[in-house]
Amino acid sequence: MSESGQDNQLRLGFLETIEIDGRGRIGGLLVTNHSGRPLEFQCTTPVRPNRTQEILFGESLKPWLLGELIGGTLLNRVSIKPGVVITSDPSLLELRNHTAIPVALAEDEGGADAHQTDSATFSTDTEPNSDDRPVRVGNSLLRFHSGHQADAQSLKSRQHLIPDSADLKEPLERVREALAETVRTVFSR
Amino acid sequence: MTISSSFDNEKPEHNPEPVTIDTFSLLEEVSSPQLVQTGFNPALSRIPTPQTVSVPLDLQVDCVPQWKPRRIPLKCIGLTLPDGMEFVPEQQPKLETSDGVQLKKISPPSPKAAGDSGEQKQKPTRIRPPADALSLQDRLFYLLQPPLESWLAGQELIMPFEPFSYQYEGIAWLFSSQAALLADEMGLGKTMQTITAVRLLLRSGQVRRILLVCPKPLIPNWQREFRTWAEELPVVTVEGNGSRRRMLWQMPGVPILIANYELVTRDLSEMPEDDQPRFDLVVLDEAQRIKNRDSNTAKVARAISRRRSWALTGTPIENRPEELGALFEFMEVVPPRGCPDMRQLSRLADRYILRRTKDLVMKDMPPRIDRDADLPLTDAQTAAYRIAEKEGVIQLNELGDSISVQHVFELVLRLKQICNYDPLTGESAKLERLAADMEEIAASGGKAILFSQWTKTIDWLEPRLKQFNPLVYHGGVPVKKREPILQKFKEDPDAHILLMSYGTGAVGLNLQFAGYVFLFDRWWNPAIEDQAINRAHRIGVRNPVIVTRFISTSTIEERIDRVLREKRELFEAVLGDGDGDGNRSLSLNASEIFGLFDLKARSQDGSRSIGPKCEEQDAA
Repeated sequence: MSESGQDNQLRLGFLETIEIDGRGRIGGLLVTNHSGRPLEFQCTTPVRPNRTQEILFGESLKPWLLGELIGGTLLNRVSIKPGVVITSDPSLLELRNHTAIPVALAEDEGGADAHQTDSATFSTDTEPNSDDRPVRVGNSLLRFHSGHQADAQSLKSRQHLIPDSADLKEPLERVREALAETVRTVFSR
Repeated sequence: MTISSSFDNEKPEHNPEPVTIDTFSLLEEVSSPQLVQTGFNPALSRIPTPQTVSVPLDLQVDCVPQWKPRRIPLKCIGLTLPDGMEFVPEQQPKLETSDGVQLKKISPPSPKAAGDSGEQKQKPTRIRPPADALSLQDRLFYLLQPPLESWLAGQELIMPFEPFSYQYEGIAWLFSSQAALLADEMGLGKTMQTITAVRLLLRSGQVRRILLVCPKPLIPNWQREFRTWAEELPVVTVEGNGSRRRMLWQMPGVPILIANYELVTRDLSEMPEDDQPRFDLVVLDEAQRIKNRDSNTAKVARAISRRRSWALTGTPIENRPEELGALFEFMEVVPPRGCPDMRQLSRLADRYILRRTKDLVMKDMPPRIDRDADLPLTDAQTAAYRIAEKEGVIQLNELGDSISVQHVFELVLRLKQICNYDPLTGESAKLERLAADMEEIAASGGKAILFSQWTKTIDWLEPRLKQFNPLVYHGGVPVKKREPILQKFKEDPDAHILLMSYGTGAVGLNLQFAGYVFLFDRWWNPAIEDQAINRAHRIGVRNPVIVTRFISTSTIEERIDRVLREKRELFEAVLGDGDGDGNRSLSLNASEIFGLFDLKARSQDGSRSIGPKCEEQDAA
């Protein structure tokens, strides 16, 4: 298993969760190569917080459940570590506080203000991206955790491996389909 | 003594009789602290004496119930996908002319949708798990693959041309099929879909070793198609003497083997069982070759050890159940000697056969598809060609400065005739390929037009294509007979091919019902070729027309083709997709004709080039 830190290769992780009626949530993490070809997939069993947790965690329940618990478990379990984890759920950004791997939110084009978007390539200076602007990687906009804005810069050296036409939201759709299939096959029994 | 209360006026309604109490006892009770004097005044003088109870304070505060957030142990289900074969894509070879000019690849005409001004976003083609994939891991493997469009978009795999949308569907279908019969009509790209699916299977680690079996005349075609569509894949052809072939069958590390039916039948039937090669995928091209289940070929094919079985054929065989049964037996979807009835065949066909016809996929296809059939000469043709070329060039060199275009022209024509067929032996690589294609077209009920610049070639072809009931139409045919010939070609379902010369063909000739056009040899001027082709292809034609140009490789035809392509590209680059006017400039001029040969004349210093020194007028 190769590490993800080499400059000549980049593993991407795509993290998603779905709700199962009455049984809680399950999460899935798909690790691909820089072109989107799948390498490994992990998904969790359903988890549902009890009433006490719901009350006492309050608003921090979702980030804890999705980010720390589900995301953290998957990231620890997967054998091929990704160089960056991409998700479409803002609650999953919490994962970044429990791992050293950059975590980014894939945004829609319309969701980000155009004038706040970085240009197609990273700037040549070495200063980290100091504000919360989304960054264009491939054909998608990625927004990193507000407390770890240096993540954008850390991806810079390997960003060229991702094709300009790469749609980084597409693998998330695959994860959702795989989770739905898993629910149908395993958890419906 | 009567005790009374302060409320003496009240009549003791409930105590009709006074209560007698011992006075001394009463006084004792009065002085006892337990006795409370009633009345307002005694009440005023009574000072409350609160009593206290000592309560020990707990130093520890218990929280009940105790609760700590704890990490909920989660179980995970994992799937590691197999490592695919990694190939370093070769640099795309740039075609170079002898003077070092680099040529560009030519793309096929792109489909133009009527009324479509912007780009149509194509729905991505996802690979679906096959119906018989029951395990979750198998199903997840297919669901997690990327859409074919992004997979093939040059990120990992270089595709020389973008597939049509129905081809994406075919590739996805093949990829997820253990058993498959791809029965697309001829010209829709069965070869390309098969090669691309093979490429993806290798990339994703699903297969490691593949055997492709095809008729012998089609081997060069498959080799060329692999070079075009999967340049990074090592392909080995099983050929040569017995010991070499045995070595090739057993050689490890070869992903793709190509062999013809005869060699497979001979070699594998003689091989001991322990030495029999094993494959992950066996593909049979022109699979109707095994339609007779009792033939040796069919038996050997079925006996090959394999995990996946694919068959390719353009011949509709729905009306011959026994033949379908033979193919299904090869695909291992019916038991040995199984004879499914019509209903079972229909169900199996729905699941295991994919057939598209031109009219069904017309909206995805351009009205006209041009494809080149690059054919190496047969051995006899090669020998004759080399001798003629060598002798011809020597003669031209000896002419020195008295050489003219006409001299060169004559040599070119002679060489082109040898490319058509060897005059001594009659061998013809083009005829072999034509017969193979016509077999498929005729079986589909299709019709084809063949063009040649020589009536002699047409007359030579006619008896050799007898099984397709050829009709001849050239300048040598009396005028009175021409119209009936065209009528017969149109109406007779058994008349599958019309042999025509470029020179004939009047305005108004309408052959739109022919779906295939073969250019047996090339004309000097592409516009004349287009005019010929347009007899079959008109605006508004119902079905796409497949145009096949035969080009003999490593010959003068290839050089002529290259020059004509450059001229066409230059024309289009300057004037765009122009009309047919002013196409004379597209034909070869004198300097270009001379440039087909590197002609030298002896001089005092050694040798010097022969030829016109500047651009001349058109020679054609």
